Amino acid sequence: MIGRPITRPKAVLLSVLSVLLLLAGYTWMSHRQHQVNPNDTTIPSWSQLAEGVKKFTQPDRYKGERWIVEDSLATGERLALGLALGIVFGFLIGMLMGCIAPVEAFLQPPISLLAKVPQTAALAVYFVFFGTGMEMYVAMISFGIIPALAVTVYLAVKEIPAEMLDKAYTLGAAAFEVAIEVVFKQVLPKFIDAVRLSIGPAIVFLIAAEMVVGDVGFGYRIRLQFKLSNMNVVYPYLAFLAGFGFLLDYGFRMLQAKLCPWYQSNTK
Amino acid sequence: MNLADPDNFGLQCQGVSHWFGENKVLFDLNLEVQAGQFVGLVGPSGCGKSTLLRAILGTHPPHRGEILTLQNGRLANADRPGRDRGIVYQKYSLYPFLTALDNVALGLKLDQTTTAFRWFNWAGWAKKRREFRDRAGAFLEKVGLGQAMHLYPSQMSGGMQQRVAIAQALIMEPEIILLDEPFGALDEATREELQEMLLRLYEENAEVKAAGGKPPYTLIIVTHELNEAIRVGDRLVGLSQYWDWEADGHEHSPGATVVYDKAVPVFRPDERPEYELFDNIRREIRKHVYNPGVLQRRDEHVSVDPTP
Repeated sequence: MIGRPITRPKAVLLSVLSVLLLLAGYTWMSHRQHQVNPNDTTIPSWSQLAEGVKKFTQPDRYKGERWIVEDSLATGERLALGLALGIVFGFLIGMLMGCIAPVEAFLQPPISLLAKVPQTAALAVYFVFFGTGMEMYVAMISFGIIPALAVTVYLAVKEIPAEMLDKAYTLGAAAFEVAIEVVFKQVLPKFIDAVRLSIGPAIVFLIAAEMVVGDVGFGYRIRLQFKLSNMNVVYPYLAFLAGFGFLLDYGFRMLQAKLCPWYQSNTK
Repeated sequence: MNLADPDNFGLQCQGVSHWFGENKVLFDLNLEVQAGQFVGLVGPSGCGKSTLLRAILGTHPPHRGEILTLQNGRLANADRPGRDRGIVYQKYSLYPFLTALDNVALGLKLDQTTTAFRWFNWAGWAKKRREFRDRAGAFLEKVGLGQAMHLYPSQMSGGMQQRVAIAQALIMEPEIILLDEPFGALDEATREELQEMLLRLYEENAEVKAAGGKPPYTLIIVTHELNEAIRVGDRLVGLSQYWDWEADGHEHSPGATVVYDKAVPVFRPDERPEYELFDNIRREIRKHVYNPGVLQRRDEHVSVDPTP
């Protein structure tokens, strides 16, 4: 029984069923709530939700901006820069730690300590050092994901059997070539897995910071609309964030399949 | 044998000793291998076969003694791994992220181009790359792996992987190839096929030698299968810690050394191995190399010139 595969149509049917159940459950909860209080906004009905979507997809009264566009651009830019910086430095630090013993000894204590600091709890530190502008967001995202990424890369490098490295020398490789042609290629898929896993935390850090000091962006909007009890904006925003995270993850998965066709990922 | 003669030289170990703390492993080991020889290296477990192989490979140089190989036409100390020595491991024999073709072409790429060339001279590299892959492809065809060229190691059987690994080492034309239990994980039939592959190389050696050239393949195969060592090798070297060290004035065992070194019969690749014929050799080796109860003088079974 355990692990026995089911047919493809059955699998699709079950997936569709789970989504339908979710929607039906929501509809029922909302319906019950509105029977108690017809003006309820905590579990908005489908028509209320449509109103909310209308609200953030049309130009607002004050600035004439569409919220969803404005927020996506702001949050997207912060996330992209933070992730990019974190990915580059996380990878470099992990590679250097894995390949060069003095770097390993030097960086291991701070990296393992930093990895244990909850970024959301350290928000104040980032405000003090980087203000409340773009630098702060980028710094907190990248510092937030660097330790985990670096440790993953470092451990993946350490996992490479010495035989593989020794053999490269017998094939005429220089030390740098061993790092680029053997270590890098061996580590790459695991690194992409780690990047995929770091997207979640990166979004958490960003939204948390935006909730505290943002004047535009998803975190800011969600906090504001929640205070106004406009859950018909909050829920679609959450769905939008989930969809965005999913797409980003999917993109990295495709990248991994393209760059490392030999690798059988176990975190599909 | 004339050691200064690069046309004959394969490998020389002189007074090699190695130990790990209190644990004495190799003692005053001397071994000379001529170009074209196929040396089967056997010995009881813990006798330091792997230690010796790693020392020759250069990843773990011995504490005492010298190991010389031919590097760029000159005799030099083998204190680090280099392209003059090839290695075929039992595990991790191929790079999992490269296809069979690219695994074989990797050595050409690493040896003949630099990172700077590959990064900055795109046109030049594209041309070289095609050339290397063509050569690797032709080589794979030759060893009967034309079908497998574009498979990744995880898609290949164990026998195919080892075949590709041997091709990967051979294409570099190293002075000596080290095989560390290369067929240990394979079934009997595959094992014999791969032994035939090695014996065909030995035949090529003979042809080149007959034409007056330097035989292209020299190898040391470490194995725990006596039959394999006898069939593939033309010379059998037994490494053992069981020898009469007290007669040499040692109070404690100083470690393993060469206690057996003789020529063994040469077989053609298509010859069905008649393992009964090996019985005498096997019995002799079991007694003098493997048996802790039989302690003979270290040179009692070491021929001065084990050239077959």
